[in-house]
Amino acid sequence: MSTFWRNHRHWMAPTLFIMPGALLFAVVIILASAQTIWVSFFDWDGVGAKQWVGLANYAQLLDDPQFHVSLKNNLIWLAMFMLAPPLGLALALLLNQPIRGMRVMKSLFFVPLVLASVTVGVVFTWVYDPTFGLLSLIFSSFGATAPALLSDEHFVTFAVVVAALWPQVAFCLVLFLAGLNNLSEDLIGAGRVDGARGWPMLIHVILPQLREVSFIALAVTVIGALRSFDMVAVMTSGGPFGSSTVLAYQMYEQSIFSYRFGYGAAIATVLFVIMAVFIAWYLHTLLKPEREGV
Amino acid sequence: MASNDMIKLVTRAPASRRQFLIGAGTALAGMTLGAPAIAQSKELTIISNIGNASQREVLQRIASAYEKESGVKVAINNMDHEAHKTAIRSYLVVGAPDICFWFSGNRMKAFVQRELFDDISDLFARENYKSVLGPAAGAVTVDGRQYGLPLGGLLWGLFYRKDVFEEKGWTPPKRLEDLLTLGEKAKSAGMIPVSMGTKEMWPAAGWFDHMNLRINGLDKHMALMDGKMSYTDPAMLPVFDKWAELINAGLFSPNGTSFGWEQAAAALAQKKAAMMDLAGFIKYGFPESQQDQIAFAPFPEIIQGMARYEDFALNSIHVPKNAKNKENARDFLAYFYKPDNLAAFLETESAVPPRNDCPPSKDPLVNAAVESLKTVEGSAQYYDRDTDPDMAQEGLKGFQEFMAKPDRRDQILERLETTRKRIFKA
Amino acid sequence: MYPRPLADDAPFRRFAYTSMVVLILALWLVPLMAVMATSLRSFEEVMAGNYWGWPKSFNFIENYMAVFTQTAMARYFLNSLIVTLPSVFGVLVLSTLTGYVLSRYRFRGASLMFALFVGGNFLPAQIMMIPVRDLMVSIGLYDTYYALIVFHVAFQTGFATLFMRNFIAALPDELFQAARAEGASPWQTLWHVVLPLIRPALAALAILTFTFVWNDYFWAIVLTQSDAVKPVTAGLNNLRGEWVSAWNLVAAATILVAIPPVVMFFLMQRHFIAGLTVGAVKG
Repeated sequence: MSTFWRNHRHWMAPTLFIMPGALLFAVVIILASAQTIWVSFFDWDGVGAKQWVGLANYAQLLDDPQFHVSLKNNLIWLAMFMLAPPLGLALALLLNQPIRGMRVMKSLFFVPLVLASVTVGVVFTWVYDPTFGLLSLIFSSFGATAPALLSDEHFVTFAVVVAALWPQVAFCLVLFLAGLNNLSEDLIGAGRVDGARGWPMLIHVILPQLREVSFIALAVTVIGALRSFDMVAVMTSGGPFGSSTVLAYQMYEQSIFSYRFGYGAAIATVLFVIMAVFIAWYLHTLLKPEREGV
Repeated sequence: MASNDMIKLVTRAPASRRQFLIGAGTALAGMTLGAPAIAQSKELTIISNIGNASQREVLQRIASAYEKESGVKVAINNMDHEAHKTAIRSYLVVGAPDICFWFSGNRMKAFVQRELFDDISDLFARENYKSVLGPAAGAVTVDGRQYGLPLGGLLWGLFYRKDVFEEKGWTPPKRLEDLLTLGEKAKSAGMIPVSMGTKEMWPAAGWFDHMNLRINGLDKHMALMDGKMSYTDPAMLPVFDKWAELINAGLFSPNGTSFGWEQAAAALAQKKAAMMDLAGFIKYGFPESQQDQIAFAPFPEIIQGMARYEDFALNSIHVPKNAKNKENARDFLAYFYKPDNLAAFLETESAVPPRNDCPPSKDPLVNAAVESLKTVEGSAQYYDRDTDPDMAQEGLKGFQEFMAKPDRRDQILERLETTRKRIFKA
Repeated sequence: MYPRPLADDAPFRRFAYTSMVVLILALWLVPLMAVMATSLRSFEEVMAGNYWGWPKSFNFIENYMAVFTQTAMARYFLNSLIVTLPSVFGVLVLSTLTGYVLSRYRFRGASLMFALFVGGNFLPAQIMMIPVRDLMVSIGLYDTYYALIVFHVAFQTGFATLFMRNFIAALPDELFQAARAEGASPWQTLWHVVLPLIRPALAALAILTFTFVWNDYFWAIVLTQSDAVKPVTAGLNNLRGEWVSAWNLVAAATILVAIPPVVMFFLMQRHFIAGLTVGAVKG
């Protein structure tokens, strides 16, 4: 037994190590997602019998004006969320100074990161409230009337994204502070000897060293943008009249309130496909240097 | 460079190890605590979606009294009203409680058709409920069998503050023209004529119901609800034309989609608005000391001679088909449904008792509704209770949009018609 | 260090710089301060719409006591701890193992497996709602702590594996070669070489996972229904329904819910930064 183990442990040990995590992940996450894709080919009210409809759900999606709105909003989310990494980096550069009390201030900057999205959503509804909100107070101090952002079909998504950016920027800030903590003094010194400062220094010396951190920041930002469900649910419920709905929320709404689980699953699948494009690019970029390094 | 850091990390390790062990210890303690409670032999679980604290208290009090009397242990699980709408679709299929709260009418029917609510006709017969319920029994009846007990009835109409109307010398509008005139007066007094918060969408549908019932009557309204009438039917046009007239006259709260109904009710309480379309639970938006100022008036008449039809929504209480203790559940329902208990429960939301043998209410809002109901010739429940839930979702959204953008009437109706055709396979 | 540290002998500049940071911080936290201030207000003040001004009266004890005495918030807190701590522990154990194998062993399908872990992590939670619920029902875990623990461990393992794999991949090869030369088994290598070096990463991951699991609301309403197991976020929303316009109490409850992750964060902040750092630097 023990010789068997010794002869084979080079592959058995890693297999044993990876099994629990991989199995659990496969059963709960992968299988569940696959099931949802399967459901998207059925007409199903979530309770009774499923009826095979082939691609009918997808065909309906194409004609659904709400779907187009959701899709557009998802793109707005993704695009605007891309502000989080640069803003986080800017804040990190600001805070990366050996000044007394800086540690405490850094911690305070992180706080939005740990708040529940229910909390963030509630707070920002107060900010935007057209009668007693912070925004209307500011506008009225200039003698102007604040726009009711959450009631305006053109602005509402932007307003929700701004709220969602608050914790997201904090997240990126944390990551970049960690990255700045670990820059190579040698390279910076060499850069300074060469007379690099300001932008050229940042772009040619610092950013390349922050590549890995930026990568993680990008990943959590995209995840954040696509997990936009909570903020939409808390702040607008997708309204007014569906104009701030995103795919994740529409899927939820269709499944839960309209009993259209097959249709909801089709929306989820579309979201998944969009995601898959990003995942493929991400993994490709992430794994490339390692493959080349071998 | 990296190994340099490693040294720093290793020297820091003791602290993080300690932290980690504390975490792990607590985690293990959690594991043992994590075991689910073992079921007792005689017990009853209830899922309630009651938001109001005092109504929860009354339910708890009734449950405790029942516990003492019967020896059955009653556990009440409270859920947020909105979250409950999500959860019920899960728990009725799996892990059902013994009793749950829901809405009668079409929303109940959706679960009856899927065989998720228990047929409690036996309880009805045993307790002879039909003799005390009258028409309310119809709201929980499908194909001659009963699937729940009706709770309080919510009569929808206009609410206003007595003191404000007295002070200004206003009277509640009898006809739509009066509403417009009153609107002008309110505006010149610096008030919003009708407080309307459509963030949760449904309040706009209440207004639609009123307009449609006043213009087209109950039969056509129900035909629309049942998917038998088109949303692009010419009969719908006057409803939306009149409604647009009100909207364009600036009758409703600006930016209404920003507010929930609570905020809209608070505006009435704070004398920032003159009226609001809701049911008795409007009082939740008022401080207790001012609740006696709330007064009720029926929605104004539009077409002269049209019989008076109203939205009268009945909440209900059910035994899920998959309940484990169905006999106990019936037993508890019979206890809960005793006139005194039921009346105490309904008092807190100013709802009209469905039983005619409940003790007379001391609540002026309930009495006003009871009085008003005497001239009602027929009732619907509420848009999202009367029509298919899938249709309701689109409809609510459409009405919300119409109130913000009345000029999009045709687009909205077109969209609703497409949805209706899909759902009712018309 | 970058940016170049401010000179010690320029006190004015240092003061100006600090003031600027404090100002930005104040703006950054305005929304949070509004919640804190509102949690102290009286009901009348909230009804009058004062959300941003200085509280007219301080009702600290009344409001915060009301949260505990009028609701089952204490129970929800305990439930959240019972769900969150084992979840964090489980995620750390599983992702250390998967991260170690995926970063240090080359085998066929390794990239695919890693891709699945990362990819699953990008999925919107809603896509799994119904199948996961049905799964929990069929194995009898629905409406127990285990349902939430199992789901959170499974889901967070995706992100955690990405994190741990990068971290362990950044450890110098020489360490592993030395371990192999000495005949250490994979287990010994993991226990004696890897584990001591990844503690900061574990600390960082613990905080992140704690925050994610603690703040989860969606799965709380999908997988639980009894007050006996319901976590604090579901409880918080419960309160929003119950106290229709008592935003002062809702604000107090909101602050209370935020305390555990904030405290956790402050306690472990040092390790957190260190833990995030190393994974980011290679060679």
